[in-house]
Amino acid sequence: MTALAAALAEARTGLRLRRRGALLTGMGIALAAAMLAAALVVGVGLGGGFDRAARAADLPDIIVRFSPQSAGLVDQRISALPDIASYSTRREFLNVGVAASGQRRNDAVAEVISGFGRPGYAVVAGHNLTPTGSQVLVELGFAQAWHLHVGSTLYLGGLGPQHVVGFTEAPDNVGFPLAKPRIYLSRRALVARFGREPNPQVNLAEIWLRDPRYLNEVLVQARSTSFGLRNIQFATRSGVRVLLDQAAGIVIDLLVALSVIALVTASAMLAASARAEVQRRLGAIGVRRAIGAPRGHIALAQGLEAMMIAVPAAALGVAAGVLATSGPGDRLLTMLNEPPPGSALILPLAAGFLASVAIPVLGAAWPAWRAAGRSPVGLLRGGELESRRGRGGRFGPGRSGGLAVLGARLVAARRVRLAATVATLGLSAGFVLLMLALASALSALETDPQALGKRYQLTATMPVRSVPRVNAIPGVAVAAPRYETEAADSFFLGETIDVIAYPGDHTLFEAPPLVAGRRLNGPRQAEVGVGLADALGLSPGSTLALALSSGGELRLRVSGLVSSLDHDGRVAYIPAKALLAADPSAPYQIAVALRPNADQSRVTAALTRLGAQPTVASGATARGAPLVATLRAILLAIAVVDGLVCLYALIQASTLTVQERRRTVAVLRASGAGPSAVRRLLLGATLAIIVPAGVVGVLLERYVFGPALSHLAVNYASLALVATPGEVLATLAGLAVAGVVAVVWVARQAGRESVVSGLAAR
Amino acid sequence: MLATVRAVTVLRAVGLTKTVGAGRAARRVLDDVSLSVAADEVVAVLGRSGSGKSTLLNLLGGLDTPDAGEITLGGERVTNRSPRALARIRLRQVGFVFQQFQLIEELSGAENVLMPTRLPGAPAGGARRAARLIEELGLVPVADHLPHELSGGEQQRFALARALVNGPKVVLADEPTGSLDAENGAAVLELLRGLTGRAVVIVTHEPEAAAIADRVVELAEGRLVASAGRGPVAGRPAA
Repeated sequence: MTALAAALAEARTGLRLRRRGALLTGMGIALAAAMLAAALVVGVGLGGGFDRAARAADLPDIIVRFSPQSAGLVDQRISALPDIASYSTRREFLNVGVAASGQRRNDAVAEVISGFGRPGYAVVAGHNLTPTGSQVLVELGFAQAWHLHVGSTLYLGGLGPQHVVGFTEAPDNVGFPLAKPRIYLSRRALVARFGREPNPQVNLAEIWLRDPRYLNEVLVQARSTSFGLRNIQFATRSGVRVLLDQAAGIVIDLLVALSVIALVTASAMLAASARAEVQRRLGAIGVRRAIGAPRGHIALAQGLEAMMIAVPAAALGVAAGVLATSGPGDRLLTMLNEPPPGSALILPLAAGFLASVAIPVLGAAWPAWRAAGRSPVGLLRGGELESRRGRGGRFGPGRSGGLAVLGARLVAARRVRLAATVATLGLSAGFVLLMLALASALSALETDPQALGKRYQLTATMPVRSVPRVNAIPGVAVAAPRYETEAADSFFLGETIDVIAYPGDHTLFEAPPLVAGRRLNGPRQAEVGVGLADALGLSPGSTLALALSSGGELRLRVSGLVSSLDHDGRVAYIPAKALLAADPSAPYQIAVALRPNADQSRVTAALTRLGAQPTVASGATARGAPLVATLRAILLAIAVVDGLVCLYALIQASTLTVQERRRTVAVLRASGAGPSAVRRLLLGATLAIIVPAGVVGVLLERYVFGPALSHLAVNYASLALVATPGEVLATLAGLAVAGVVAVVWVARQAGRESVVSGLAAR
Repeated sequence: MLATVRAVTVLRAVGLTKTVGAGRAARRVLDDVSLSVAADEVVAVLGRSGSGKSTLLNLLGGLDTPDAGEITLGGERVTNRSPRALARIRLRQVGFVFQQFQLIEELSGAENVLMPTRLPGAPAGGARRAARLIEELGLVPVADHLPHELSGGEQQRFALARALVNGPKVVLADEPTGSLDAENGAAVLELLRGLTGRAVVIVTHEPEAAAIADRVVELAEGRLVASAGRGPVAGRPAA
C-alpha cells in the first residue's frame, strides 16, 4: 500500500468513526465559506462595477453638454478635433412626462438619439432602437421599479404610446431611483410624430478617441475651438468615475471593507476550528506515533480527513453565500447603472472555495505535523495539559468555587483549544457588533444631517435683519444667513461649483469632515469638496478662481479639502464677506441650529409666526432611501450568515466540550450529581468561553473593525462606527441566550446517556 | 459472620434480572440474582469476563436499572426511582472505585477527591474529610499533581479517597486492581479490607482480590453459583 493510499484509508476510517464531529466541523466550514462567498460577491460586484459597465456600454472618453445648438454646427466643431475615432450627438430633454402601468411622473430625462452609431449605453435586455416604429429604451433600474418588461407600452411626453424594446445601463450617471429615469428614443420617433425639423438641434455629444492617452490635448483643443457653443461642460471618463465614486463611493468602500473583514474573520475561524480539532486528537496522534506511524503519514491523514469534510462543506457554503447576497448585490449594482459581475465572479469564487478547503486542511495538517514531532509518551499522558503545581493551594481551590467554577476550569485546562474557540467566537461577536453599528450609522446618514457634518436643523426664508429675532427664539442655539450660489471655475468653465458662505464660523452650521489641510480662517480662503478638488486638481495652497453667475470673479486660497456627499462633492465653503463683495445679491436662507433637546416643532411654529417659511434640513442621502434600503438588505444577508456562524460556533464549542467530557460527566453522575449539577457544570464551561469571547468581540469592534471601517469612510462622512451600549448589550445578551440554549440542550443529551456508557467513553 | 450479616444488612438485592441487547442478540446476563451485604463485610464477586459482574455492580449502585428484582441500600429502595433520587442515593450512600480510576484529568488528585463534596446535597465537612483521607492514604506529597503525573497506585488511592469522601455506607469496586502491578494492587486491596463501618463489594477475576473478602460469590451464566466465606480480618484502619 502506498503512503497516500494508507493515509487515505486512515482518513476514511477517521471520518467513519467521528461522523458527528465531522458533521459539526463540516457545518462550520460551510458557514465560513458562505461568509467568504458573500464577501466576494459584494466585493467583486461593487469593486469592478464601473469598469464592467464602462466596457459593456462602450462609455465615451468625453461627454460634452451645452445649450441646444444646430446639429450641423456641432458636427463641424467635433470634426475639427484631432484624434477622434467616432462621435454621436443627442438632444437631451429634461422633466419629460412619463406614464405606464398606472404610474406617472414628470421628471424623466428623454435622450433623442440622432443616428445609430456607438450608443454609449449597454442594452441588457431586448434589442437596441431600430429605424422603424415608436420604440424606446428604458433604463434597467427604472424598468424594474415600474415593473416594465420588453414589449410594455410607455407613454412619453406628447409622443403618445411607445413600445419598450429593451433595457439599458449607462455608467455616465447613477441609475433610477438615485437619479431621474432615463429613456432613449430615436429622432425618427420625433419626426414621425411632429414632422421633420428643418434645423435639428442637439445639446449633448459623446466622443471616442483613437488614443485615450491624448485626452488632455484633445480637451485643450476642444475648449479653444468650441466657440459658438454656449454653457459648455466637459465630462471625461475619469471624471464620470469620480462623480460616481462620490455618489456611491461610501457604499462601495464600506461594503468592500466589510467583505475584507468578513474574509479575515472567516479565515481565522476556519484556522482556529481546525487547530482545535487537532488538539482534541493529541492522544490518538500519540498512539499512532507509539506504534511507529511516520510524522508525515499522520499529518497527511489528518489533512486528507479535513479535506474530505471541507470539499462538500465548502461547496455548499459557497453556493449558500452566493444565493444570499447576489440578489441584493445585483439590485445595488442596477441602481448604480452597473451590470452584475456574472462570469467575473467565477475565478474569485473558485479561489474562495479553494481557500475554504485549504485553510482547514492546512489548519489540520500543520498542527498535526507539529504535534507528531513531540514525544509520544507526552502526548499519551495528556499532552495538552500543563502541570499546575505550585500555582494553587495545597489542595487546590476551596469548596466555594462550586460546580460552575469546576466547569470553567475543565475548559480552561485546555488552553490552546480555549484560545482557538474564544478567538472564533470573539471574531464573530465583533463582526455582529460592527454590523449593528454600521446599520445605525447608515440610518443616521439617511435621516440625520449631522452625520454628514450639517449642524443646523431648519432653514427659513426671511430677511437677514430678522436673524437677531430668530436667535431670541427659545430652543435656538444660533442662526445666520446661509448664502448659496452657483459658480464656475474661471479656468475650466465647464466645472460648476456650489458656493456656500456664512458670516463667521461656518462650522457652527456645517462642518463636513476635513480630509486635508485646515479649516478656513481668513477672508480670502476656501474649503473645497474632494469632488471639486479631484475635478480641478486642487490641493491645500492652490488658488480657486470662481466665476460667479453675477459676472463677478473671486480668487481664494484653498485652506483645506472637505468631504461632502452633497453636490457630488463639488462644493466650496467661503467667507460671506468675500462672496458678498463679488455678488451683493447672492441668494440666501437663514440656517437655524437648535439647542440639544430643543423642541423643533415649537421653533418651527415661532419661525412661522415671524413670517418665515421654515423647512427641515435633510441628510444627503435622503433622496437615496432605496439605496440605503438595498444596502441594509446586503448587510442583513451578511449579518444573518455571520449570526449563524456565531451561533454554530457557540453550540459546537459547548457540544464538543460535553462530548469530550462524557466520561467526566459520567464520573460526576456516578458520584451523585443530578441534572441540575450537570447543568451548572456545563454553564460554567460555557461561560468560560462566552465571557472572554464577548470581551474580545467588543474590543475588536471598538479598536480594530470600527476604526478600520471609519477610516475608509472618512472621505465621505464622519461615521462613528462604535457600537452603542445598547448594541453591545444586545450582542452579549444574544451570546448569553445562545449559551443557555446550548447548555440546556447539551445537558439534556448528557442526561439521556446512561452513566455506564459515559464511563466507557474515551 | 452470618450473625453479623443478619444484624446490619446495608445492601440487599433480591431476584435481579437483566438482559442486554435486543432481538436475536438479546442475552440475559443476570438471572434471579440475590445478594445481601452487611456493614463491615467485604464481599468479592468472582466470574469470567462477560459473566455479568460489572452489570451486577452497576445495578447495586443505581447506575443501571434491572429488568426485574429489587435493591435496597441503607434501607432505601434503589429500584424504580427517578434519576434525581438515584443521584442523591449515590451521593450519600455509595462510593465507586473503577478499574480505570476515572479521575478527571484536568483536576489535580486533591481536587478529584474534593469533587463529590462540591455537589449539591453533599454532607457538610467534605474539605476536612478530604484532607484527612489524603493524609491517611499517604498522598499529601502528590496532592497537587494532575492524574497523568501520578503512578497507577497513586491514582487508584486518589480514586478510593474520592469514593470515601462523602462517607458512603457501601463501596463498590469494579476490578480495583485490574490496572495495577502486584505491589500496588496489594496495597489497594489492603485499604479496601481495612475500611470499617461500610459494606464493600469487589468485583474481580483475580484470586488475590478474592482472598481478602469475608465472603466470595461466583457468577456464572447469570446466576450466583457458589459462595464461600472466611473469617473477619482484624486491625482495619479507620476511614
